[in-house]
Amino acid sequence: METPETPDEELVARTQAGDARAFDQLVVRFSPRLYGLVYNMTSNHEDTNDLLQEIFAKAYRSIKGFQGKSSFYTWMHSISVNMAINFLKKRNRRMTMSLDDVDNGIANDPEFIEATSDYDPRHQANLGELQKRLNEAMMKLSEEHRAVVAMFDIQGMPHAEIAKILKVSEGTVRSRLFYAHRQLQNYLQEFITT
Amino acid sequence: MSPEEQISKLLRLKRYEQPRPGYFEDFLQEFQDRQRAELIRRPLWEIAWDRIVSLAPSFQVPRMAYASIVALAVAASAIIVVHPGARASRGALAANRSTLSLTSSQPVTIGESVPVTLTSTGSPSVHYVLPTRPVSSYASSRSF
Repeated sequence: METPETPDEELVARTQAGDARAFDQLVVRFSPRLYGLVYNMTSNHEDTNDLLQEIFAKAYRSIKGFQGKSSFYTWMHSISVNMAINFLKKRNRRMTMSLDDVDNGIANDPEFIEATSDYDPRHQANLGELQKRLNEAMMKLSEEHRAVVAMFDIQGMPHAEIAKILKVSEGTVRSRLFYAHRQLQNYLQEFITT
Repeated sequence: MSPEEQISKLLRLKRYEQPRPGYFEDFLQEFQDRQRAELIRRPLWEIAWDRIVSLAPSFQVPRMAYASIVALAVAASAIIVVHPGARASRGALAANRSTLSLTSSQPVTIGESVPVTLTSTGSPSVHYVLPTRPVSSYASSRSF
């Protein structure tokens, strides 16, 4: 059994040498974080599950070509963001996503209620509505803007890391964030006090 | 709190959106099951293509370039193996073998490019004619 301290690089090297169990460790290690990223781009748990399976399958098939020029973390996030964007573009072409497809199941989550407790009571009355509006607002952003918001605002990643993942400059990351926040302010005006 | 900060705070609430309890425990098992199923289901060419793409990621070449290179290589191999041009010319020669004879309706002179005609047995034979005088003129002037 691997200890949690085994570095990613070592697990990657062992996977490249043919040890599939080492890759299993990487799957266990990265799936929660990547789930958050993909979910916040798709706003649908089923799609997220399918996509995450495909992401790890692709990573496993391509891992022999991973040369360690970036960290495994960055590499995995790049694969995830690119696959999620491609998936969303196909999904948008296929159909306009129904708002019923957006998952809205956390309104009764005690942690969520606790986290929103310092909001105006008027707004607390309908946390389900808040979550729904948040997801709708996210889905109105372009895939590229949504990816930046998901990584920066939701996952708390620094600009430099996002820039590496997206292979763009930090300035581009900042400008995408600025534009996305402006759009979100418009969509979520009723939840913002001036 | 500025509107920008409020937006960030609202977005942070999305961290609480998690899959059902136990999801991540089952995820690895599902991944392994899918991998095994995929190995059985995937065509060989797709596996080979993935290997090629994964072995050459360090070059800054668009993926379509790899596709073009592979397509060219396949086309070149097909040409070498099938060689339709050579087959066609060989076929034409074979078809002509039965009709070719030692005599030709067109006199040929030395000094011009030398044609090769085939006998009905298939062995090549060169039919030369001296300049300016066709063979028939010798034959007609001969008398015994």
